[in-house]
Amino acid sequence: MRFPKTFAKAVAVVVAPALLVCMTAQSTAAAMVSTARVVAAAAQPDARAAVNAFIARGDVQDVMTRWGVDPEEANARVAALTDEEVSDLAARIEAMPAGGEVVGIIVGAILLVFFVLLLTDLLGLTDIFPFIKKKH
Amino acid sequence: MGSRSALLVVAIASSMGCATARIHDERSAAPSSPSAPVIAVPFHAQEAYECGPAALAMTLGWSGLEIAPADIVGEVFTPGRKGSIQTDLVAAARRRDRVAYVVHGRDELLAEIAAGNPVIVLQNLGLSWLPRWHYAVAVGHDTTRGAFVLHSGRDANRAVGEATFAHTWRRADEWGLLTLPPERIAATADEQRWLAAGVGLEQAGRVQAAGAAYGAAIKRWPESLAARIGLANVEYAGGDFAAAERSLRSAIAGHPTAAVAWNNLAQLLGERGRKTEAIEAARRAVALGGPDIDVYKDTLEAIERR
Repeated sequence: MRFPKTFAKAVAVVVAPALLVCMTAQSTAAAMVSTARVVAAAAQPDARAAVNAFIARGDVQDVMTRWGVDPEEANARVAALTDEEVSDLAARIEAMPAGGEVVGIIVGAILLVFFVLLLTDLLGLTDIFPFIKKKH
Repeated sequence: MGSRSALLVVAIASSMGCATARIHDERSAAPSSPSAPVIAVPFHAQEAYECGPAALAMTLGWSGLEIAPADIVGEVFTPGRKGSIQTDLVAAARRRDRVAYVVHGRDELLAEIAAGNPVIVLQNLGLSWLPRWHYAVAVGHDTTRGAFVLHSGRDANRAVGEATFAHTWRRADEWGLLTLPPERIAATADEQRWLAAGVGLEQAGRVQAAGAAYGAAIKRWPESLAARIGLANVEYAGGDFAAAERSLRSAIAGHPTAAVAWNNLAQLLGERGRKTEAIEAARRAVALGGPDIDVYKDTLEAIERR
């Protein structure tokens, strides 16, 4: 089921304090302090950062699913990222470069683009055309 | 449209994206000079847009995992983006028990290559306003010719001039990724960076591999408290409580005022029914205090209630 973004945010605002309570309660059950917390001792992530990361995992998973990744696979990918990585990713996922992406361009602009890239290739600024011998 | 311009369109179309359907390439025809030491990395020519899976399969292959790009496409490729995003490579490496270690900048890249560690590099082969994102694997640096040696697209050991590489890499924020066996510490790693990379494996649920990464850290940095806590945590997660206790006691021997070690030992002993010892350890943690004092208090309280 998909909710509008604003609704999801509203839910997050309501749920976040509850999560904080759950986390505190949970620490009574299993109170091994995690390696992540010890390693990050210098920049101690607080409970709020943990909640943000929790929400970020859902957001990233949603975007991946929209991009055609199987929901279960999206879950597995997100699960293998640390809180810090996933928060960082959530903030800029739409702008993340994807190696392998094809550039969509209109045919009319192709010739212009070709000459620009030909020039920049000749100058060694770009590396598009295999038939351009570059000065290394 | 004349046949000449049609040819141009074809040339452009085929060179856009990381498809790199290169029909002939003079540079790849010339093998890199024998003076350049090149890391032995199995080469996989990429299919269509799949430079991400190909690059990852190559560094995983170097690390001892024989794997075809087709086997990891599902873990790395994002159909809606017709490509692979950086974090997907990171996650996929961890899911194969490899430490994902990110490097930035020329100095780190050169240091890792010199140490024999191949580096996946993200390049923007086009321009900032007309990006063409591409992953290649840096396998060598040819100082005599002033070139980096890359496994890229359909070319193995392709020499790319320093300046051109610098331009294409800078447009991708000079991002590089190593996929290391957990025992092999990156050349540019310090204790903090290596352990943070190990935490990634633990996060991915690969506790055995994380344990190996922490174990290597203990050998390299014998004083490390975090490495011992980490090792104890993965031993505990794997159900080896005796080993976890040994690791925690050795952490305490080196760092008697580390409250976190006392707390984790208390938790472990409490669960094993050794209540008196557990309470004593938990009281030490509470007395030492620190940012996690509330956790220590909870531990003590829970043990006393048992």
